[in-house]
Formats: sequence, structure tokens, C-alpha cells
Amino acid sequence: MSIAETLQRLINVALFAAGLRMATSIIYATLGGIFCSECGVLNVGLEGLMLVGAFFGVVGSFYLGSAWAGLLVAVLSCLLLSLAFAAVHLEWGANQMIVGLALNILGYGLTTYLLKQMFNTAGYFSSEKIIAFQPLRIPLLDNLPLVGSLLGGHFALVYLAFASVALTWFLLYKTPWGFRFRSVGESPGAAEAVGINLRQVKYTGVLIGGIWCAVGGAFLSLAQLNLFSENMSAGRGFLALAAVNFGNRKPLRCLIAALVFGLADALSVRLQRFGFPSQLVLMLPYVSTVLILTLSSMQRRRLAPAV
Amino acid sequence: MESTSTRTPQARWLEALRGPLLQVVNYVLILLLALAIGGVIIWLSGKDPLAAYRALFVGALGKPLAVANTLDRATVMILAGLAAVVAFSTSVNNLGIEGQLYMGAFAAAWVGFGVRGLPQFLHIALALAAAALAGALWSWLPIWLKLRWGVEEIVTTLMFNYIAMLFTAYLVAFPFASKNTVLPGTDEILASATFPRLVRGSALNAGFLVALALVVVVQWFLFRTKQGYELRMVGLNRRFATYSGMPVRRSALLGMLLSGALAGVGGGAIILGFFLRFVTGFSSGYGWDGIIISLLAKNSPLAVVPASIFYAALANGSLEMQAVTQVPSTLVGAIKGVIMFLVTARVFLDYFSKRWRT
Amino acid sequence: MSEAVAMQGIVKRYPGVLANDHVDLTVEAGEIRAIVGENGAGKSTLMKILYGLELPDEGTIRIQGQQVRIRNARDAIAHGVGMVHQHFKLVPSFTVAQNVVLGLEPHNGIVLDQAGTRAQVAQISERYGLKVDPDRRIMDASVGEQQRAEILRALYRKADVLILDEPTAVLTDSETDELFAILKRLAQAGLTILFISHKLREVLAVSDNTTVMRAGKVMGTVRTASTSARELAEMMVGRSTLEDRARQRAPHIGEPVLEVQDLSVHDSRGILAVRSASFQVREGEVLGVAGVEGNGQVELAEAITGLRPSASGRILLQGRDIRNQPVRTIRECGVAHIPADRNDMGVALDAQVWENLACTHYYERDYSGRMGLALDRIRSMAGERIAGFDVRTPSLTCPARNLSGGNLQKLVVARELGDQRARLVVASQPTRGIDVAGSEAIRGMLLDYAAQGAGVLLLSADLDEVLEVSDRVVVMYAGNVIDVGKVDASTREKVGHAMTGGAASAEVPEA
Repeated sequence: MSIAETLQRLINVALFAAGLRMATSIIYATLGGIFCSECGVLNVGLEGLMLVGAFFGVVGSFYLGSAWAGLLVAVLSCLLLSLAFAAVHLEWGANQMIVGLALNILGYGLTTYLLKQMFNTAGYFSSEKIIAFQPLRIPLLDNLPLVGSLLGGHFALVYLAFASVALTWFLLYKTPWGFRFRSVGESPGAAEAVGINLRQVKYTGVLIGGIWCAVGGAFLSLAQLNLFSENMSAGRGFLALAAVNFGNRKPLRCLIAALVFGLADALSVRLQRFGFPSQLVLMLPYVSTVLILTLSSMQRRRLAPAV
Repeated sequence: MESTSTRTPQARWLEALRGPLLQVVNYVLILLLALAIGGVIIWLSGKDPLAAYRALFVGALGKPLAVANTLDRATVMILAGLAAVVAFSTSVNNLGIEGQLYMGAFAAAWVGFGVRGLPQFLHIALALAAAALAGALWSWLPIWLKLRWGVEEIVTTLMFNYIAMLFTAYLVAFPFASKNTVLPGTDEILASATFPRLVRGSALNAGFLVALALVVVVQWFLFRTKQGYELRMVGLNRRFATYSGMPVRRSALLGMLLSGALAGVGGGAIILGFFLRFVTGFSSGYGWDGIIISLLAKNSPLAVVPASIFYAALANGSLEMQAVTQVPSTLVGAIKGVIMFLVTARVFLDYFSKRWRT
Repeated sequence: MSEAVAMQGIVKRYPGVLANDHVDLTVEAGEIRAIVGENGAGKSTLMKILYGLELPDEGTIRIQGQQVRIRNARDAIAHGVGMVHQHFKLVPSFTVAQNVVLGLEPHNGIVLDQAGTRAQVAQISERYGLKVDPDRRIMDASVGEQQRAEILRALYRKADVLILDEPTAVLTDSETDELFAILKRLAQAGLTILFISHKLREVLAVSDNTTVMRAGKVMGTVRTASTSARELAEMMVGRSTLEDRARQRAPHIGEPVLEVQDLSVHDSRGILAVRSASFQVREGEVLGVAGVEGNGQVELAEAITGLRPSASGRILLQGRDIRNQPVRTIRECGVAHIPADRNDMGVALDAQVWENLACTHYYERDYSGRMGLALDRIRSMAGERIAGFDVRTPSLTCPARNLSGGNLQKLVVARELGDQRARLVVASQPTRGIDVAGSEAIRGMLLDYAAQGAGVLLLSADLDEVLEVSDRVVVMYAGNVIDVGKVDASTREKVGHAMTGGAASAEVPEA
């Protein structure tokens, strides 16, 4: 097969559609990261939260018989963990990076342990009783020529992801609540001086962050795939951190980074089908993250040279 | 304020000991609390916590052979812990220790089976040197990106973990695929590259001694040399270091390279002493253990040793626990997470400092 | 006139110090009350209690005759108390208007009403004559504008009582006059103004009554019109500070140690902070750089000591050009630096005391060899310095954090001046945040060092200090260095003139 043909089979609308789908969980985790960072809490535990969300999404769906129920259970479990994270950091002054790492370790340990304990398997768990999300049929959209293939037939959560980004932007930049929220992160002194309760806002931010991570995780196990496997988040929580860093916490900019990571993910899957060694190809998202961050830092340096 | 007290020597000893004593009591209490939480989880799953913990203890420290095995497992943790201590002492956020471990492990394995005709001492030294170099090279790229363009090393080192794991997996699956084994690993290393055993019947080998030696070296380096002093001052207050005329960027670079090298040696040690070949996915998170250990040890190289032995005991004991009582060994992973939470929460320390007013 | 604020029996203890010792303060509506005292007198603490940023251990507060409990800033605001902080508490990326309304924003449903915000801010600003641009981001606003934003914020919340904490520390003389005009207008409109200051001339200019505090107690309250600076000063420190002290001056002023020629330096935002500055410091001489903070002093000091690159010009140290050289090279040439913010870069708070003393010389042959640092020699050096400069510390190995502010500054001075090698000392705000005794000690150390033949460049926003310590004075205004000449009775007036941009161009001081 010639190079041109290869490229044609590789880079087509289906790739970008897949990219959208695979970006979704990262987008949600990124929103989680944005809410945490904007109120002044750097949460490196997004990865652990996603994993927990993925696991408990499966648990909820398995026992309660519906994907949305699974999502709810995922959200509840991440809320609990986020509460613990917030409490340890805010009440007892623990260093936020360390607690975030603890969250990751706890998430991995807990889900692996419970996988064995509850479902008696190791590695991964799959079953017909896990009710997954179904892709949506939107007649008008699906029938459009190019756009339909790109934007049609996605899971509801995919569309909601983009809506959520818009919602986040609106919430943070157009409402009084958003201004107060951001002031806590940017100038806690100013917020305190006008009587804003810093602790309350930070708790809220971390909890909201946990909810988004839960949705991202549940998407992985109930939509993108239909199972739970150990460590299935595979660093997406860290990719989300990179996206927040790249976009400087602005929702739209962060979205761009998340989309790129999703595309890299989709590309790596396709490349494997072309016979490239899976190990090399799987590196794509991580390498692309480093590249993107470097490019963005290079640009920042050029615009505002550090004195 | 008087500079010399009028108290008796005994009282002054007590005064000096109070700090460390409180720390030890604090850790013991945290451990008990974490174990209690673990016990509740075990009980909820229908098993007997006491039996489980007894098996844990036996597996870890019950017999001399068990102790030897625990010390062996501690080897890589000590080295990973040292890597973390050096990095965090200079305020470099090296979260890529796991990846540096992998690169070091592969390099050591390569020298181990690729180089022939060397006496044992030289072969091992060369393999470890290669491991250190590989680890340092792997840590060099993220720090260079940081120094050159300000790319945050927290994220890049995290990414490099995955890249390293995948890259070495690729090497094992393709160029270095072994014809001699069914496992996903390289060829076995030569006998001349294998660490001599210290205790017959156990896994404990000379690698443990190498780790201990490096503890002393790192302690001396950080607290008794110019560069170590610079490293620590840069970590404590970067602006202060710049203002004093210290070479700040060079210190950050040095700290990161040393950290990567130590992590690489850790990977090398476990290959040369335990696995005897490079195996894909050999590390059950030792890099992350190293980071937690450095936190428990409060960045003291000497304290890394007891903290590592403790963690190794948990790991070894958990296998026994699973074999005897069918409580999954991964519970220990959850307990580790709980411990980290509690340690960082300083729960008991705050209570103490209020009661025994400092 | 009715009672607006009454604080009675206020007691506040911190570990080791009684900040407020049964303080009583009663202020009437429409009054401008100044609260003066030295650093550490307890005035800031008292006002923080009134604004809810601290809780009193004992005592009561009455506002408009009603007894109230103020547990946090929210309670204070609810009772009509507003505060303008010494270090502004504003959100840099928000606009002036957004900062003013933060926490009490006008809104349509859940959406912020931007137009309404702007309108309300413009309205208040008009009413009281506080000129601001509502849409300018705080990070782009001038110091005066930022302060007006803080005042507007209090007024927006319908404050009846306005507290200002050292409001003139960052203002020029003319901006200060503007502020005082605003305060008088507000008082006439019925607001009660409380302002903290240690600048007696300003207090005399604007307040109706003055309360003097010392060491946590109220020494007395006097009608400003019938008191004088000397009387207030005596109440503040318990003795007259206006006696001339016989200074140990250098035998003679020698050759120039430092020659700065046409130096231009940019600040962190790329804006020119020092404009073609030229001046000299001679051996044995103290050159004072007067001027309100924010006029380029920080950038000048950093350029000379190597902490900041400069764009053009020359910096000659005993004839050798040290511009843009590495910090260590400059230090080795004989430059000592007492930085403006000791906690930021002067010390490493979590390092031990001896480590803080060794940081400039640890690499030299005396202190380090092939086998590592010579710890015993370093420690004995540290011990000598501690003793020589009267630094009170429990030990050499305790973290620097344990030392008081004054002792930390003495530690910095001990390190910088202790080995007697520096030919030039750059001292930025050396007594900021230090109590009277500590400040005098530090000024004495600087003078003693100059007497031995070194040159001292003193940058200080405290004009009294500059006039007391310096031999010659220059003024920094908007990045320009304006020579004022030898210190004498007319210097103060000349400085004031220069600080409002009176002398337009920088002059090279006569040889």
C-alpha cells in the first residue's frame, strides 16, 4: 500500500470522530482540574479520582441495572474521596501535592482490591450485566454529509462534555459566583477582605472537581469501553493536568489541549491496526503532551521574556 | 534569651529527644490507625482481620529468611527513596522516578547479558554505571525543558513514566526479544553480572549493601559538601540562593540528574539481584513507593532506610497474607494510600503539640 | 455629635507579646482620628480587631451605640466598617469596578450586570471625587488608583466607619494631599475616619484628634490642633528622638566606590523602571536614595547587585564595570546587599541559622576543602558573627524562622557586613518592620561600617531615616534619579519638591 493510500485510510473523518470520543473523558477531568485550580487547590489526584469513577460506575451499573445509575454511583464515590482530600488539605494543612498523590495511590489500590474482592477477578472485569451508555441517534445531524459523520452518533456524554465546557466558562466568567470563586484562587487576601469564606469556596471547588472526574471516569468504563480494567485511566488524569496547565485554566484553551490528546489517543489505536508496534504507538498521547506543553511554554517565553 | 540553659544534662537530653520521640510516636499511631481501617475493610469482606495481620507479620518478619527477603525487597525502595529525597531537597518535582527506574533496569540488563568476559566485580560495576547513566539521561530531558523554556516538570516527568514503560516494553517485544524464555523479558544476564547472595535460601544479595552504601554517600553529599548545601538552599528558598550568588540552575540540574541516576541504579539493582533479566512491568510501583518513603523520611537519607524496610515488610507480608487468609494482597496498596493521607494530615502531631506545649 | 465607634477594654495576646493591653478607644461620627505609634505599638492589631481579621481575647465593641460581635470581615462590613489595607487586597486580573463590587455584585438573575457595575462605581466615585477608570484592570492601575479602588469598595458597602492602615506609605506628597482632601470630604459627609500612621507631619495635617499607642497601651488622646510633633513623638517613644546625635563620621570622604552612569533598567513587565540614572557613592559616605516605594528603587538595587539585568549604562565598582555580571562575581568584588524583603531573599526561613550565615562564603578555601565543608570553621564563624552583631537566637542550629524580625535583620547585616570585605553596601529599606531599638541598632551598624571607609547606598522610603543617616541625598521619582545634595535644613523641602517631579532631569552630582 502506498504512503498516500495509507494516509488516506489513516486520516479521515472517522479518526476525528474517534478523537472526539476519546477526548471526552479527558475533557471532563480537565474541567475538574480547572475548578480545583481556580479556587487555589492544585489537585494532582485527578487520575485516582477518574479511576475510582470508572470502577464505581461499573459497580453502580452492574447492581442497579442502568448506565445513568452507574454514573450516579461514580459521582457519589468521587464526592466522598474529594471530601477526604479537601478535608485533609484544608482542615489539617496537608501539602496538596502530596495528598493528591495519595489520592492516586489510594485510587489504584482501592479499585484493584475491590475488583478482586467484589468480582473475584484480577486484571479486568466485564459482564453483560454492566449496562453501558448507548450512542445517540440524531436524525437531522446524522444525515448531514461530512458533519454528520464527525458529530453524529456520539454518546450523550460527548455532547454534554462540550456543553459543560461552555457552562464552565459561563459560570466562571459571567456570574457573580464565578468572580468570587476565582478571586479565592487568585487573591485570597482580597476575597477574605470582602467577607468571602475561603474554606467554603475551596471545599466547593474540590467537590465540583470530583464530580467532573467521576463523569470522566464513568465515561471510560460505561461508554468508551464496556468494562473495568486495572488502571484503565492510564494517565488521562495527568493529561488533564497538562491541559489545565497549557490552557492556563481558561476553559476554551484547555479544551483545545484535551482535544489534541484525544486525537493522539485515537491515532494510536488506529496505528496499531496498521501493524505498528502497539507499545510505540501507545506513546503518542504522552509524547504529544510533552510537545504541546513545550510549544506553549516556548510561546509564552517569546511573548513575555522573563527578566 | 539565655543561650545555655541551667538545666541538668539529663533534662537537656530529654529536650533533644523530644522532637524525634514525638515523630516516632506519631508514626506508630498513624500505622495503628491505618491498620485499624484496613482491619475494618477486611472484616467487612467477611474475613478475620487478626489472622490476616498475623500472616502479614509472619510473611514480613516472622523467620530469618523472611527478614532477609524483606531487606532484599527494600533495596530498590531505598534507592528510589534516595532519588526522591535528592530531587525534593532541591525542590525539583521529579515524579518520573518510576520511568527512570525502568530505563536504568533495562540498561543494566543489557550490559548484564550483552557484555562478556568481565570479572564479576567489574561487570556489576559497569552494569550499575550504565543503569545510573540511563536514569540520569531520562531525567535530563524534563529538567532541560524546564530550565530552557519553563515547562513544568511535574507534568513532563509524569508523561516520561509512561513513555519509558512503553519504550522498554517495545524493546523487549521486538529488538531484544528473548529466544530463551516464554516470559516477556530479555535474555538472562550472565552469572558474572549477578549480585552475590548474602543469605542462602533468600533473595537478599549484595545489592542491599550497595543501597546502604549509597545512603551514606547521599547523606554525606547533601549535608557535608558544597554542592549538597547549594542544592538544599535552592530547595528551601530559591530567591535566597540566587541572592547569595549560588548557581541555582546548575543545582536544579545536578539534583535532577542525581535523582535520575539513583533511580536508575535502583532499577539496575533489582534486575541484577532479583529478576536476573529485564521483565516488562517488573516494577509494582517502586518509584511511587520511593516518593512516599521520602515523605515519611522527611527528606532525610538516613531515615529512608527504616521507612523502606517498613514498606518492604508490608509488601512481602501481603503476599503471605493472601496465601494464608485469601485477603487480596492489593489491600496493602489501599492501606499505603491511607497511611499517606494520615501522614500528611499531621493529625496526631497537632494534637501533641497542643498538649505538650513546645 | 454621636458616638460612632467605642472599643473598650480590648486585650489581645500573641505568643510572647501582649499586643493590646486593655485598650479603650472612642471615636465620634464625622471625626478623623489618627492612631499613631511605633512599629509594634499595637495599632494595626487594634484595627484588625475592629475589622474582624483578628478576635480579641477580652473587651467589647460598640458601633453607633450598639454592642456588636465582630467575628470576621463579613460581620464588620455588615456593621458598616470598611478597611483600606496597607498592602492592597485587590484581585490583579479584575477591573477596578469588578474589585469594588466583589461579594456584592449587581446581577440580572445569575448573570453579572456589567453595565450596572460600571454605573454604580462611577456614581460613588463622582459623589466623593475619587477619580478612577472603572474598566482598568488593577494590575495596570497606578498605586493611587488602587488605593482609591479600595476606598470605593468600602463606600460601595455603605461604610460609616473607614479604617485606613498606613495609607500614605506608598504615596507621594502630592498624592497624599489628594487623599487627605478625599478624607476630609468623606468626614464632612458623616463618615468616621480612623487612620493608622507613624508619620507625624501628616497626622498633624489632617486629623481632628490623635490617639497615641505604645507597647500595646493607649498613652493618651489629644486634640491635634493643640499638640505638636515633638509632643506626639515623646508620647510614642517615651523620650525625645529629635535630639541631634553626634555621629561618628568617616575621617574623610574618599574616592568614588560606586559610579553609576546612565543606567537604564526594565521591570518585570518590560517597562522602563530606571531611566538613565547617574550618581556616585564615595568611600566613607552614605548616599541616601529618598522616594516612595515603586519608583524604581527595587530595580536599581537589583541591577547594582546583579539580581536583574540592565539594558544600558555603566556600573563601575572601584573602576571596574560590574554591570550584568553574575551575582557571585559582584559580591566577590566587594558588594554587600541588605535586601528590601528579608523573608523573600535575605534569609531562608527553614534553613538553620548557621546555614543562613554561610551562604555567601561557604565555597571559599577557608570553609570548604576536598572532603567537603569545613563545618567546624563555618560554625565558629557563625558564632562570632552572632555575638558581634547581637543576634538573639537560642542556638546556631535552630531554623531561622524562630527568630524575630529584628533579629533576622541583624542576622542579614551580620552576614553582609561581618567579614569586613565589602567596599559598597546596598541597603534597601533596612529597618522596615523593625522596632525602634532594632532600627537604631541597624542604622548604627551601617554608619559604623561607612566610618571604616566603605560606601553605603541607602534606599529608604522613610524620609526621616534618610535625612538622619545620609551625608548626601538623591531622590528617585518615576525612574529618574535627582540629585539634592548635602544634607542640611533645606533638604527636606528640596526632596519634597523633587518627589513631585520638580527637577525634571537627572543631574550628575558635583565631584
